[in-house]
Amino acid sequence: MSTDPKLHRRSAEEILADEFLQARSRILDLAAFLDRLERAPGSAEQEARMRLLAEGLEILCDDEVGKAQRVQLLMSRDYDPAWQTKYGIH
Amino acid sequence: MEYIDPHIHMVSRTTDDYETLARMGCVAMSEPAFWAGFDRGSVESFRDYFRQLTQFEPKRAAQFGIKHYTWLCINAKEAENVSLSREVIAMIPEFLSAPNVLGIGEIGLNKNTKNESTIFLEHVDLAVKYNQQILIHTPHLEDKYQGTRMILDMLMGDSRIDRSRVLVDHVEEHTIQAVLENGFWAGMTLYPVTKCTPQRAADMIERYGPERLMANSAGDWGPSKPTAIPDLIMELKRRGHSRELIRRVVYDNPVAFFSQSRQFLPLENS
Ligand SMILES: [Zn+2]
Repeated sequence: MSTDPKLHRRSAEEILADEFLQARSRILDLAAFLDRLERAPGSAEQEARMRLLAEGLEILCDDEVGKAQRVQLLMSRDYDPAWQTKYGIH
Repeated sequence: MEYIDPHIHMVSRTTDDYETLARMGCVAMSEPAFWAGFDRGSVESFRDYFRQLTQFEPKRAAQFGIKHYTWLCINAKEAENVSLSREVIAMIPEFLSAPNVLGIGEIGLNKNTKNESTIFLEHVDLAVKYNQQILIHTPHLEDKYQGTRMILDMLMGDSRIDRSRVLVDHVEEHTIQAVLENGFWAGMTLYPVTKCTPQRAADMIERYGPERLMANSAGDWGPSKPTAIPDLIMELKRRGHSRELIRRVVYDNPVAFFSQSRQFLPLENS
């Protein structure tokens, strides 16, 4: 296979200028969603999915990298490396 | 820009969709066998489905100058029915020499059960026996990480498998690395809500580079967008990527992967 074509790298300033409005609108979507839950009759507070959302929001605000991957793993069932033995499959 | 959609379910789409795709630059596609939205009752339903995939769809696509290829299997959802699955697997060889069949797919896991795993391994065995390429479906949402790891365990536990002839589809941020670093091809599915957006797919291309990486729409009977690849092309252009880079992902890579199947014919470049 031929050598990889070069990837163009945008600067952080460029990305922010290009995508600020998009990110702003997504934060507003989330904020309005949380307001909607708050206003609604009943309470979802105790549901496991609410805890997942809260933990997901914490990932967005912490100082670590790989946020998309970490949110994905947060929302994933665990993988057990011994699954084949448990299923009796080889 | 000309492109190839390596994963799209055209039996669920209209002829108007073929026309739209052709207008947007789609020159070839491959259609893995999958779930119809309901469980089929007998092996005869699958025989008819495979006739549709190997005889009828290529003609419909050809009306718009699109080359239609396909992959055969019983999908992970119906694989829960082990006896039906075995009947289907036994029947598949009848169709393997049809001129548009690239291999076995989309096989994989859905809820990551024992039955699904058993039938996955039997499909892999069929592919090896008939020297077929493999296209793999990884589960969605919370099942994806676990299921992808299980699939990689099964593939890497079989020394007969040539990893460069296996495409693992529906990769996302938490599964792409394991697929690529173990030598498989990876496909990103652009699908509303449950899978990946053009922006996130572009991020993965920027992060991992274009080698062995493809994008598809997985357009089907559900909420999906058959024209999702042109959306990705637009996003990559917007970010300033070269024509060469974009073409590598949406055209050259599918050609390189498909060319490992003897049924794949070179496309006429315009
Ligand atoms: Zn599919």
